[in-house]
Amino acid sequence: MASVTLENVTKRYGEEVAVDNMNLEIEDGEFVTFVGPSGCGKSTSMETIAGLTIPTEGSVYIGGEEVTNLPPKDRGISMVFQNIALFPHMDVYDNISFGLRLRKYDQEEIDERVQKAADVVQLGGMMDRMPEEMSGGQRQRVAIARAIVREPEVFLMDEPLANLDAELRVHMRTQLQRLHRELDTTIVYVTHDQAQAMTMSDRIVVVNDGHLMQVDPPLTCYNEPDNLFVAGFIGSPAMNFVEGQATEDGFTSTYMDTPFDPTNYGIEPGQNLTMGIRPEDVYLERDTHLAEEPSRTYEAVVDVLEPMGDEIFAYLLLDEDVEASAEGRGEGQLLISLDPDTVIAPGDDIEIVIDRSDVHLFDTDTGQAITHDILE
Amino acid sequence: MSTDTSDRRLLLRPVHWLETKSEAVFAYILLAPAFLLLAVIAFFPLVQTFRFSLLADETAAANPFGGFVGFENYAALLTGEALIPQQFLDPTFETPLLQQALFVTLAFAILSVLFETLIGFGQALVIDQEFYGRRWVRVAIIIPYAIPIVIQAMIFFLMFNPTVGFATDFMQALGIFGQNPLATPRDSFIIVLVADIWKTAAFMALLILAGLQSVDRGLYDVAKVSGASPWQQFKYITLPLVAPALLVAMLFRTMDAMRIYGLIDATAGCQTVPSMSCLVITALQETRRWATGSSVAFLTAVVIAIVVLIYLFGLRDTEAGVT
Amino acid sequence: MSGEEQHPDLEAQERAGQEEPELDRGIVEAWAARAISNPDRAYKATFYLATFFFLVTTLFPFYWLLMVALTPRGNLSDVGVLTPAGFNPGAFVEIFTRLPFHRYMFNSFLIATVATVLVLFVASLAGYVFGRLRFRGRNALLLSVLVTSFFPPAAFFIPLNRLFNTNIDALRPILSAGSLYNTPYAIFIPLSALYLPLSIFILMTFYSQIPDGLEDAARVEGTTRLGALFRVIVPLSAPGVATAGVLTFITVYNEYFFSSLMTDGRPQNWAPMLEGVLRFQGEFEVLFNLMAAASIVAVLPVAILVIVAQEKIVSGLTAGAVKE
Repeated sequence: MASVTLENVTKRYGEEVAVDNMNLEIEDGEFVTFVGPSGCGKSTSMETIAGLTIPTEGSVYIGGEEVTNLPPKDRGISMVFQNIALFPHMDVYDNISFGLRLRKYDQEEIDERVQKAADVVQLGGMMDRMPEEMSGGQRQRVAIARAIVREPEVFLMDEPLANLDAELRVHMRTQLQRLHRELDTTIVYVTHDQAQAMTMSDRIVVVNDGHLMQVDPPLTCYNEPDNLFVAGFIGSPAMNFVEGQATEDGFTSTYMDTPFDPTNYGIEPGQNLTMGIRPEDVYLERDTHLAEEPSRTYEAVVDVLEPMGDEIFAYLLLDEDVEASAEGRGEGQLLISLDPDTVIAPGDDIEIVIDRSDVHLFDTDTGQAITHDILE
Repeated sequence: MSTDTSDRRLLLRPVHWLETKSEAVFAYILLAPAFLLLAVIAFFPLVQTFRFSLLADETAAANPFGGFVGFENYAALLTGEALIPQQFLDPTFETPLLQQALFVTLAFAILSVLFETLIGFGQALVIDQEFYGRRWVRVAIIIPYAIPIVIQAMIFFLMFNPTVGFATDFMQALGIFGQNPLATPRDSFIIVLVADIWKTAAFMALLILAGLQSVDRGLYDVAKVSGASPWQQFKYITLPLVAPALLVAMLFRTMDAMRIYGLIDATAGCQTVPSMSCLVITALQETRRWATGSSVAFLTAVVIAIVVLIYLFGLRDTEAGVT
Repeated sequence: MSGEEQHPDLEAQERAGQEEPELDRGIVEAWAARAISNPDRAYKATFYLATFFFLVTTLFPFYWLLMVALTPRGNLSDVGVLTPAGFNPGAFVEIFTRLPFHRYMFNSFLIATVATVLVLFVASLAGYVFGRLRFRGRNALLLSVLVTSFFPPAAFFIPLNRLFNTNIDALRPILSAGSLYNTPYAIFIPLSALYLPLSIFILMTFYSQIPDGLEDAARVEGTTRLGALFRVIVPLSAPGVATAGVLTFITVYNEYFFSSLMTDGRPQNWAPMLEGVLRFQGEFEVLFNLMAAASIVAVLPVAILVIVAQEKIVSGLTAGAVKE
């Protein structure tokens, strides 16, 4: 167990900046997930922790000791890779025991620890299989066993579930959480899939363009996103954004306006604002009582319905003459989540209300969040 | 135990030191052995050879090199005034030596590569097929490639030896060869050519086979379904897909053929079939003209470079034609 | 295009079918007609004919060499094309008694083995760097490696000959003569360097195909970067390493230029096999049967290597070709 600290870490490849002045503290035993779109620098950040990449500037500490220039093998870490990276020329036993053998452990201890690690991931009786003879899920478990067998201080996982099918991914997700509880080790996890980040982590680190966007527990990122990027990236389907301006007495845009007192939030009239509304914070007019702080009603036309079974996603047009964009998320469009029993059909004219206690306001120009409710 | 580990640690210290270096420094350090070897054996001698070629010959003194003479050796070679033992190629002694060697080298390279490519392609097509016993047919066809040059030379030397061999009688009966072919430049040239084709067609076959094996077999099924005859399959699928590998193989073989020395030395001898590499050794060993030898060696490299450049330009054009 | 060509074939087939009953044709004509009616058969026949032709042309010289070797010395002028004149397997013993041919063989074998090991090691490091690392000057360095492989050995020979004949005092403790001439170093060092580029290219293509994740995994698990190279990348590139090794061994064993010029030809001075074969062209008489016998014996190591490694070489070269 150890803490991990990144201090002013910058990594440049020629002109291109992969990680820009990153500062981060990960505590002992924490499960922290780096999440962001591909190419955002999250993998590079992890590689600097692993020692596979030496940062151009800044320092990395593991367990309070500086490891910036230490090779990976001396950092007390282990890692699970996206492409699983089992050594194809070694059987399961040799793969799992590789690190122990390199460190010249006694044969007895190697056997014992390999057995224990294999039990944790339920790999009993497969010790002499070759990787090519195993399924994707089994290989993944071998890779995890190889990582835990050395009882590392820090456990790094780079998109470990990316190559698995959907069902297996959900299964492995719960397995990993259980594993974290059992091992009580610091886990640093990298994924582009916000669902994995939300479900498993103590804290998530949202990265974009080499910058930290927000470091908070998953629900905080979901309910109180620091900026437009986090608001749009966390949550599926993504938050609705309505671009508009501040007025003397509220927010106005082409299709939607909301009254509130801007002075409460230090908003100047005329300031460019973006209002963010999650699909589940919009209700049909007849369900107004479900909203904590209902807004006034808005009229809309149902464009497309996506029944998911446990809920229905409805793509609405806020005005007759709005042209629906291909992805259904353009100006004048609103995606809402409805109860699965709702009787509704495309083309219906409906009325909706918004829960003002869950409306987010962002400064469009800086992208920073201003408030996560507009109670008055 | 403790001494053991400390010894080990001492031993591994350079390896650990390497670990802390940046990727570029690490790369340069790992390249050091290769470039040390190349520097001593290739880069340094090349520069030296050029430097030597600008000096005068000293046939009598202990040091075989005299003073600086600039490009005089080259001029002497090109005008045919260089003092190297004359060869038999032109009995009238009128053709400048260098021209003879140049002619032998280029004619040999062109003819041998041409025939090797044709025969090698045929061989590759045969051993690319699936049939019973293919493994052994492959071995049999590839094996001449692995034959030491001296033995390749020995086989053909014996075959055309007037006492032992049968081939001379046969060729004489056809009216192609004269009395003692291994002492006649024209006949010896043909013998050396045939010997070279016999051995290196196998090398071409090997490289072309590698190209053929990487062709997606599914393409032939597509062609068959659309009704292509085997000849059409060859023309429209095999040939274009193998062409890049084929051209690279031909380039390498041309470079190699222009270095011909051993085969000649061990059969007809350098006096009978003077290739350019032969000339270097003759200048060195027969007359002790080291500087002249150096100029011939350097000229050989220049000729090869010119041929390679012509090739590369040709390659570029064909590639442009394809796309 | 192919559709148009199909038609004449079909017509020919029909015609041939109608004409079959006519029995007054010659055999050749009948075969030709059948071949036209059934092109596949014609291709098959061509294939077998070509295979037969290639087998005869490649193997006959070895067969005839054996005939010469088996012929007693007195009858050498009567060696047939297919049969020996007499039978004397003693030539295969005489080559070891008249000259220490085994010593020549050993010299060649040792030189080729040492050169192969040296080349594989040095080319592995360089192949790893060129195949897997990004650094400034990579292309220029790679080009300089490529360029050396196009110069003729003659262009290196004169300075090397001088260098190896120079007495170097530092070498005195290990070399009695003080110079490298007449030592195996004078042969395997130049040959290793000159055949290094080929192996670098083969290994470079192979090493570059190993996924990055495997190297990273090995390093995280506890190897150094060099450790990852030799424990993971090299074993996984086994076919490429085998190809490079076999090709290097064969080329060095077969080499003529440096092998014939860097020793004085005496076996105790590390003269390689080729000097042994040429020695039978002795001072007093030319021992043709012994030359033939020695050649056959000297071919065996490389012939066995080809038989064993043939499949590896082809697949190794194929894998390289795919990348290019």
